[in-house]
Amino acid sequence: MLRFIGGVLIITATTGAGILYGMELQDYLEKLLYIRHVIYMLKGEMEYSSAPLSEVFGRVSARVKEPYRRWLTAMEKQVEGREEDAFLKIWIRSTDRYLGELHLKSQHSIQLKELGTYLGQMDCASESESLKLYLGRLELEIEKVREGLSSKKRIGNCLGVMFGIFLVVLLI
Amino acid sequence: MEMNQKQQQILSILAKSVRRTVEKEGLDFGQLQEIRMRIGKPLIMVYKNQERILSFSKNGTTAVHMVTKEEMRETLEYVSHYSLYAYEQEIRQGFITIEGGHRVGVMGKAVLERNRVKNLQYISSINIRVAHEVPGCADQVFRYITKGRQICHTLIISPPCCGKTTLLRDLIRQVSDGNAYVKGCSVGVVDERSELGGCYLGVAQNEMGMRTDILDGCPKAEGMLMLIRSMSPQVIAVDEIGSAEDIHAMEYAMQCGCRLIASVHGKDMEEVSGKPVLSDLVRKKRFERYVVLENRKHPGEIQAVFDERGSLLC
Repeated sequence: MLRFIGGVLIITATTGAGILYGMELQDYLEKLLYIRHVIYMLKGEMEYSSAPLSEVFGRVSARVKEPYRRWLTAMEKQVEGREEDAFLKIWIRSTDRYLGELHLKSQHSIQLKELGTYLGQMDCASESESLKLYLGRLELEIEKVREGLSSKKRIGNCLGVMFGIFLVVLLI
Repeated sequence: MEMNQKQQQILSILAKSVRRTVEKEGLDFGQLQEIRMRIGKPLIMVYKNQERILSFSKNGTTAVHMVTKEEMRETLEYVSHYSLYAYEQEIRQGFITIEGGHRVGVMGKAVLERNRVKNLQYISSINIRVAHEVPGCADQVFRYITKGRQICHTLIISPPCCGKTTLLRDLIRQVSDGNAYVKGCSVGVVDERSELGGCYLGVAQNEMGMRTDILDGCPKAEGMLMLIRSMSPQVIAVDEIGSAEDIHAMEYAMQCGCRLIASVHGKDMEEVSGKPVLSDLVRKKRFERYVVLENRKHPGEIQAVFDERGSLLC
C-alpha cells in the first residue's frame, strides 16, 4: 500500500513539474506580449504628442502594470533630472534594475537595451521607424516562442508523467 | 523668477565640464545675458554687457576653455531632455525654449526637403540667451499710447537688442492686468517664436497678465485670425512682424475692432515707412502711435513717440 501511495505521489510531482514548465513558457510569451504593448504605447504617445521622453514615460507609466510602471517612472525622473550625459545609460540602467525580474533571455534583453540607442536622438519620423523596427523584431521573437509553445507544453506534460513512471519503476 | 531658480535652469543644461567653468566664475545670474558655445572655439559669455572668454584651471595652470564636440553633444542632450525629436519644429526655426523662457539658439548643417529647412544636423554652435523680465519698463510709454483708458493701435520700432520684446511683454502684462492708464482687458498674443511668453511645454514662463491668452508657436497671420475667431480678444499683440501675410492679418484684426500692439525691426520712422507692405498701413494711418527705441545707454531707451500723423509726442 505504501509503495502504491509513494508511486502515485512521485508521478503527481513530476507531472506537476511538467505542467509548471508549460506555464512558465506561457508566462514568458505573455511577458514579451506585454513589452510589445508598452513599446506600442510609447510609440503612439511619441507620435501623437511629440512630447519629450520624460512626459511620454510619465503618461504611459500610468497605464501599465508593475514592474513596467516602476521602470518608466524611474526613467521619467532620471530624464527630468538630467542624471546622465546620454540617454542610453539611463535606459540600460533602468532596464537592468527594474525589468531584471522578468528574466528575459539574453537575446531579448539585448534587443530591448539596443532600443535605447535610438530613442530621443532623431526626428519624429526616424524615431517612429526605429520603434517600428524594434517592434518588428519583437514580433518575430514572439512568433518563434508562440510556434513552439504548444508542442513544448505537450512534451513537458508527457515527460513529467513518463519521468514519474520511470522513477517509480526504478524504485520498486 | 528667483535668482537661484534661474541659475539652476541655466546650469542644468550645460555639459558638466562647461558647468564647472561657469560655476567657477561666481556669477550674478541676473546680469548674465548670453553663453556662447562653438565647437573648437573658446567658451564665451556676455555678462553685464561685456564679453568674457572663459578659462579653467588644471594642475595650477589656467587655459582658455575650448568647447569640444562631446560638450556640445552633452549640452544638446540636456537642452532637449534627451528628446531631440520633440523639438524638431523649434530646431528647424533655429532655437529651443527651455524652462524659464530662456532661449537656446542652435546652428549647424541644414537638412533640406523641397528647398525648405527640414532639420539641422551637425550642430556646431549654441547660444544660450538668458531671459530677463523687466516689470515696469513700459510705465513711461503708457501716457502716450492710451486714449480714454483704451490702448491705441501701437507699433514699437527698434533695431535688434534694443529691448522691443521686453517692452512689448510688459505692455501686454499691464494692459491685461490694467493700470492707471488702461482698463484691464483680454489680450491675445500670437507668440510665433515663444519669445514673449517663453512657453515651455505650453506653459508661459514669463508673467503675461491675468487676462492673456497665448497662442504659442503659431504663424502670426494664421494665429491672429484664430484668436479673433476663438477668443475674441480686445487687444492683440504680436512680435516682429515682417511678411505681407502678417501685415494683412493685422489690418484685418484692426477692422474687427481689436486694438493692436506690434513690434517691428527698424531704426526709425523713415525706415519703417519705407518697408514694402508696412508702408501702406503707415500711409493709411492705421497705427495711432509709434514708439521708437534705441540702445545708447541701455536697452529699452525711448528715443521718440509719434502719433499717426508723424507728430512727435515725446
